[in-house]
Amino acid sequence: MRPFALNYARPAPQLEVSVPYAYDSRLQLNVLPDGRLAAHDYAVLRELGATTSTAGSKTHFDD
Amino acid sequence: MTVLILTCEQDVTADMVVARLDGTGVPVVRLDPADLPGGVALSGEFVHGVFRGHLSAGGRLVTMSGLRSVWVRRPGVPATRVAEPSAWLTEESAQALYGMLRSTGARWMNHPDAARQARHKPWQLHLAQRCGLPVPATLITTFPQAARDFAERFPDLVVKPVSGAHPQEPPRAVPTSRVAPETDFSAVAFGPTLLQRRVAKRADIRLTCVGDRFFAARKAVAKGADPSEVDVRFATSAEPWQPVETPPRVAASVHDYLQEAQLSYGAFDFAEDADGIWWFLECNQAGQFGFVEIETEQPIARAVADWLAAPLPDTAPHNGHVPMESVTCE
Repeated sequence: MRPFALNYARPAPQLEVSVPYAYDSRLQLNVLPDGRLAAHDYAVLRELGATTSTAGSKTHFDD
Repeated sequence: MTVLILTCEQDVTADMVVARLDGTGVPVVRLDPADLPGGVALSGEFVHGVFRGHLSAGGRLVTMSGLRSVWVRRPGVPATRVAEPSAWLTEESAQALYGMLRSTGARWMNHPDAARQARHKPWQLHLAQRCGLPVPATLITTFPQAARDFAERFPDLVVKPVSGAHPQEPPRAVPTSRVAPETDFSAVAFGPTLLQRRVAKRADIRLTCVGDRFFAARKAVAKGADPSEVDVRFATSAEPWQPVETPPRVAASVHDYLQEAQLSYGAFDFAEDADGIWWFLECNQAGQFGFVEIETEQPIARAVADWLAAPLPDTAPHNGHVPMESVTCE
C-alpha cells in the first residue's frame, strides 16, 4: 500500500545539526561566539548548508 | 514605520535581510508565531469603528498601524512552544495573529492567500503554461493504467512529490528521481503521483524574483555527471551557481506569472536544455535565496530589504499587493 513516489524516498539529510551561532533577541540576529554576525560569515553558512534549498525542509516545503 | 518579519530564530537567511535593514535604520520586529502566546503577545481592539492593535516580542512593541510590510519567511506554527500545545490553541492563535495582520494596510511578501494558492504544483504548471513558459509533459494521477500509457508516450520520466513536502515518521526525502523502463506502476493507486518527461538538461536555473527585480543564476551539469542524479538539491556536483541573463521572453512570462499569482517574491526553478530553452519546473513562493547570493554575490537580500522598506503606496489594494510596472533583470 506504499504510494509510488515513496519507492524513491531516501533517509532525510541531517537537519538538526549543531550550529556555532546563537540567536540574540536584542539584535534579532544570530551571532557567532566571537560576536560576529553569522550572516556575514559565508564560510560558516556554506559549511552548514544553512541557506540551501533543502534547509528547513522538515517544516517548510518551499525549497 | 516598521517591517515585521515572521520567521524562526535559526533562519540565517532572514538575518541577511535584518542586517541590511538595520544598516539603513529601518525599524524591524522579528518574531516566530510559534512563540505566541508567551514570548510573543498581541492585543487588538475594534472600538468606535476603528481597529487598534499591538504586537510585542523580545521587548519590542509595535502598533499594527505602524507596520509598513510583513515578510512571511519561515514562521513556526502558532502556539507550538506553549507548555500544553493543542490544535485548538494553534487555531485560536493563528486566527488572532494573521487576522489582525490582515486588518492592517501593510504590504505582504507574500500575502497568505496568495502563498497558499501558489504552493499547489498543479496550479503552478497550469499558470506557467498560460503565461507562455515551456512546461514538460506532466501527469498527476492515481490511475496505474494512465501512468503506463503516459510512460509509453514519454519513456524517459521522472517522479516527484506533488506537494514538495517531505514525509516524516521516519523523516525521509523524496528527490526528483528517474523512473526506470518497465517500472511497475501499480502503486500509483496508493497516492497521487506526479510523473514528468525528463528534460535532458545542461544546467539548472534558479530565478529569484523580488518585486520587479529578477536575479537569475545557472548551475551547469558537470561533464560526466551521473545521469540518474536529476535533482540539483541532492546532486553532488561541485559546479558553482553563476549569474546569468534572463531571456526577455522568459522575463515577460515570469512577470505575468507573478502578477497573476499576486506574489511579491518567487524563486523559480527551470531546467535548461541543449537548445538553451528554460523549462519551467516550479515556483517556490518562499524559496531559499541565501545559497545563491553567497555563490553569485547577487544582491538579493538587499533587494528584499529594499522591497520591505519601501513606503506604503497612497492607495494600497486590500491585500497589500503592489502592482509591478516593469521588470529589471540583474
